[in-house]
Amino acid sequence: MTDQTEPQTIVVIDDDRAIRLSCQKILSKSGFNVETFDNGAHGLEAVARLKPALAVVDLKMPGISGTEVISRIHESDPGIVIIVITGYATIDTAVGAMKLGAYDFLPKPFSPEELRLIVNRGLERRRLALESHRTEMEREILKHRFITFVSHQLQTPLVAIHQYLDVLNHLGDADAAKRREWIDRSLKRTEQLQAIIKDWLTLAKVEGGLYSRQRAKVDLRETITAIIDTYEDSAAAEGVTLEDRLPEDGCPVVGDPNCLSVLFDNLIVNAIKYNKPNGKVTVSADRTADEVVVSVSDTGVGIPEKYRKMLFNEFFRIEELKKTTGTGLGLAICKRIVSELGGRISLESEVNVGSTFRVQLLAWRDPVNVEQEEERQKDAISNDTAQEENPDGR
Amino acid sequence: MTPPKKKILMVDDDPDYVEAVSSFLEANGYVVLKAHDGRDGLKLAKMEHPDLILMDVMMKERTEGFFTVQQMRRTAELEATPIFVLSSLYSQAPDFRIPPEAGWLAHDEFFSKPVNLMELLEKIRNCLAERAHEEARP
Repeated sequence: MTDQTEPQTIVVIDDDRAIRLSCQKILSKSGFNVETFDNGAHGLEAVARLKPALAVVDLKMPGISGTEVISRIHESDPGIVIIVITGYATIDTAVGAMKLGAYDFLPKPFSPEELRLIVNRGLERRRLALESHRTEMEREILKHRFITFVSHQLQTPLVAIHQYLDVLNHLGDADAAKRREWIDRSLKRTEQLQAIIKDWLTLAKVEGGLYSRQRAKVDLRETITAIIDTYEDSAAAEGVTLEDRLPEDGCPVVGDPNCLSVLFDNLIVNAIKYNKPNGKVTVSADRTADEVVVSVSDTGVGIPEKYRKMLFNEFFRIEELKKTTGTGLGLAICKRIVSELGGRISLESEVNVGSTFRVQLLAWRDPVNVEQEEERQKDAISNDTAQEENPDGR
Repeated sequence: MTPPKKKILMVDDDPDYVEAVSSFLEANGYVVLKAHDGRDGLKLAKMEHPDLILMDVMMKERTEGFFTVQQMRRTAELEATPIFVLSSLYSQAPDFRIPPEAGWLAHDEFFSKPVNLMELLEKIRNCLAERAHEEARP
């Protein structure tokens, strides 16, 4: 049921000896490590010491009350599943216990099956909760709190700008150099906000099909050479050289020209941005009859394994590389574009050696060529047959 | 002799936000210590014993600030240090409200970002004056 090798610990806190014994018996049989206590004070001490997965708590006990025990367990570790045992199960007591953080309640008397069921259900929920907690927080945000998250991304620069303006307003007599710095930094944040909005719009356009509807013949050689021309000088200023190893006779694919420009622009800009001085960016392509595979390789910092899964998520940025300006949307846009075009994007990377982003796209086939090809094949076949019929070639 | 300046610790992952608010507080006579995440904030708080802490919420993790507040409250020497939470959380998620009885969020004041600087200053002054008054009592 669980993948843990250690048995899970369950703490039972109840002043009724019969209940303690039966819980001990039932739950030990299911393979749990069970510790029982006859009062709240000892129970709480044990919870702090044993860090159990689950606690079974009687509501009505002398000394520290059950409700107090529940709220203190919940306060100390909300991850501990609390099951309440109560002899006077009313809606009010149940709701009260839930409010304090209990997971469920069990009215007395209960059968072994009832106890086992409720304990297993509680532990399953804990397992899921722990699991989802482990999967990176940002991913969780993307799923469940997406709007909050997006607005946080948009609001953060705006809040900083607002506060700078406030400070300028209040500290008009501050040092001129300081004031200049605050204005410059505000302008930078304004640019950042604009970049985020621009990328966000691009993403929305791609998703809405506005940017990706067209299915034309696009020669990637032209697209990519144009991008390389644009960035060659600025890359050289950073000490990065750009090289294209694209087939001389072009590499036509099926797609939307705007979309494909955005795609390779993003990949090439990233390859320059996350490179090292004296680094190199190489764009190469392989063609098969059905597919064009373009590889954009850099000799940069590389992407640690643990980040690769999240890399294409919206607003995901690698912690160590956050100093480099970026919106966190570039690769999300790339992934979206590639999938809209029915292709694939993949990544190979080695830390401190470099990364290669590989894009597979549908190769363009000229309709005329297809016909000609068929003609040619037909001819070839009839020639073959002719030759077979006339083995001596006459 | 002038009394020593009061120390305020600001925990926030946005260096520009920290620069803006801390410049304002410094101009008003405070020393501002800066930390850019919860862990550094806690470390610095333990080392420097600030008179007051300003805490952001959504840093690397969505609730990092809340957890840091919790950890500070569990640290004996920081138990009573006033903590003001500064966050844009409420304005983004108006449905997100922490009930006042929730014991796990034992901060002293909550401010929406961007903060009204004058209001922040006043609350800081009042809070520190109150503490000084309490301490002066026999």
